[in-house]
Amino acid sequence: MIPHLPALIFLLPFAAAISMPLVSLVRVTWCRGLTLGVLVSMAVLSFVLCHQVVEYGPFHYPLAGWPPPLGIEWVADGLNGLLLPILASLACIGVWYASPTVVDGKGRVYYYTLVLLLVSGLTGILLAGDLFNIFVFLEVSALSSYALVGLAGGRALISAFRYLILGTLGASFYLLGVGHFYAVTGTLNMADLAERLPSILESKVVITGLIFMLIGLGIKMALVPLHGWLPDAYVYAPQSVSPLLAALVTKVALYAVVRLLYWVVSEQVIGQELPLLLLSSWLGAVATVVGAFLALSQQDLRRMFAYAGISHIGLIVMGVCVDNPTGFAGGIFYLINDAIMQAALFAIAGMVMYSHGICEIADLSRIRGHMPWTLTALIVIAVSMIGIPPSGGFFGKWYIILGALEASNYLVVAAVVGATLLTLGYFVKIFERIFGEREPIRGGVQAEGPLPMRVSIGVLAGSTLLLGILSDSVIRLILDHALPR
Amino acid sequence: MVHAHDSLIVQTIGRVLIPLIQLFGIYVLCFGQFGPGGGFVGGVIMGTSLVFAILVFGLRGLWQRVVFRVIRGDGVGLLVFAGVGGLCLIGGGEFLNYTDLPLPGIEGATRRFIGIFLAQVGVAIDVAVTALSIVLNLADSSSET
Repeated sequence: MIPHLPALIFLLPFAAAISMPLVSLVRVTWCRGLTLGVLVSMAVLSFVLCHQVVEYGPFHYPLAGWPPPLGIEWVADGLNGLLLPILASLACIGVWYASPTVVDGKGRVYYYTLVLLLVSGLTGILLAGDLFNIFVFLEVSALSSYALVGLAGGRALISAFRYLILGTLGASFYLLGVGHFYAVTGTLNMADLAERLPSILESKVVITGLIFMLIGLGIKMALVPLHGWLPDAYVYAPQSVSPLLAALVTKVALYAVVRLLYWVVSEQVIGQELPLLLLSSWLGAVATVVGAFLALSQQDLRRMFAYAGISHIGLIVMGVCVDNPTGFAGGIFYLINDAIMQAALFAIAGMVMYSHGICEIADLSRIRGHMPWTLTALIVIAVSMIGIPPSGGFFGKWYIILGALEASNYLVVAAVVGATLLTLGYFVKIFERIFGEREPIRGGVQAEGPLPMRVSIGVLAGSTLLLGILSDSVIRLILDHALPR
Repeated sequence: MVHAHDSLIVQTIGRVLIPLIQLFGIYVLCFGQFGPGGGFVGGVIMGTSLVFAILVFGLRGLWQRVVFRVIRGDGVGLLVFAGVGGLCLIGGGEFLNYTDLPLPGIEGATRRFIGIFLAQVGVAIDVAVTALSIVLNLADSSSET
């Protein structure tokens, strides 16, 4: 069974997704149990895969038994071996969190089917060993996220349509780039491309292809000038959907960029002949500062968190693009952290909306005294978002800054510090509303929200602290196993 | 709900053509093993014949309920496909490696032949049911699905 793990991890959610409409014919209430069961077993298998990769080195899985340059290959190495368990566990927590808010009837079947399809698409992107398969699974995950955003109806449909147009544009750009690469090399396999590309890198076809792919993936991961689709989509999406989308979709697109930059176009080449990494780190610096400024000016809680996510995408891009192992490890570590923090932020915003009907920051003073545990979790997440020592966020930023100093890229250092101050600014804005006004607490009822929501928010907040405490060993894991060659 | 076409000519020609179209669809599906054709094209032709039948003879009452139940199962085709691949996993090979299909008494090349054919049948079912469900949803988006 062990050598087939990559296929099994993908097939579990996929088979469950396509059989979900049939299961719902028997009994609609089984959908939730089936989804949770599948996601839990997927998480267990991914942890086993991660252990295997760390112990015995990367997996290469030729689908249908055809060897790589001709056939389709799935690769599980240190990088995706580390990210797969995070993806599966976050999907588990997200689905469990959402279980009280999922409407009955037809919507329930749609929700669980689409979530499983989304997860299998993202798994496919992580495992794909060739560029075209990344495109296929980008589309699988994107199509299900458009539908998930639109599930709420009303205004969500407009933002889902906008997301659809921009997302399809991004995927088309990416496909165009893949076409350019295929035209000059005749191969799509990443390892094969990495051997053939260096000799023809002066070719304009390769350079335009690379730029097309980066623009396409930039739209998918909402890098700042290309982020227009994200805030509306996440704000109007149902509460059950936005934690999942915010945690997973943009991060996996960023993973695809990392794969492309370091595993396909080899590192020495982009370091020396094209200033691509330097350029990307500048883009990341702009993204993180602009995103944080935009977050500071928002009045809606979820919109502020959406811009916070955009700002942190820039931070991760800077980390992976400073071109040394320290920065790379910091970036990947921050990616894991950011996935958890985004899930937690949208989960908290969703629960505040579910229990008290509040979505404006101005109304937040009403929850003081009513949701003590949620506020504690929010404070923990804020500590991690700002980057105060015991939390995971601090260590991520710390290693990114160390890497930038090592590369003497002082713009990045300035951008990280600036973004940190702005992050402090927008959390002060939230906490000032909650704790600032000394009006008496009305009523004695504590309304925290249903149990699954409370527990999953607690788990998410706890795991950011845990990541901070375990940061040394996680960073060592990344440095030892997940670095490009 | 789709009403039946009221022209006698259309109904008579439909009655003659639909079985022929379906036969041709099955032929294309099977011929895919030797030349141009296969699951997708065969599925499109089968789906077209079903859509044609609904347009000519209408869809109401019991049949409407049955059809709307059937299109809930548009994942069955994919399940057949994934199931054949999964059987290869059980047989000890990679996903979709038909040489390891656990069929007793049948050798390598024949196993590949059968494996690919079963996967193509899955694709054909999926394409046909998807075509049907697109048309039904466009025809009447307010009716119960």
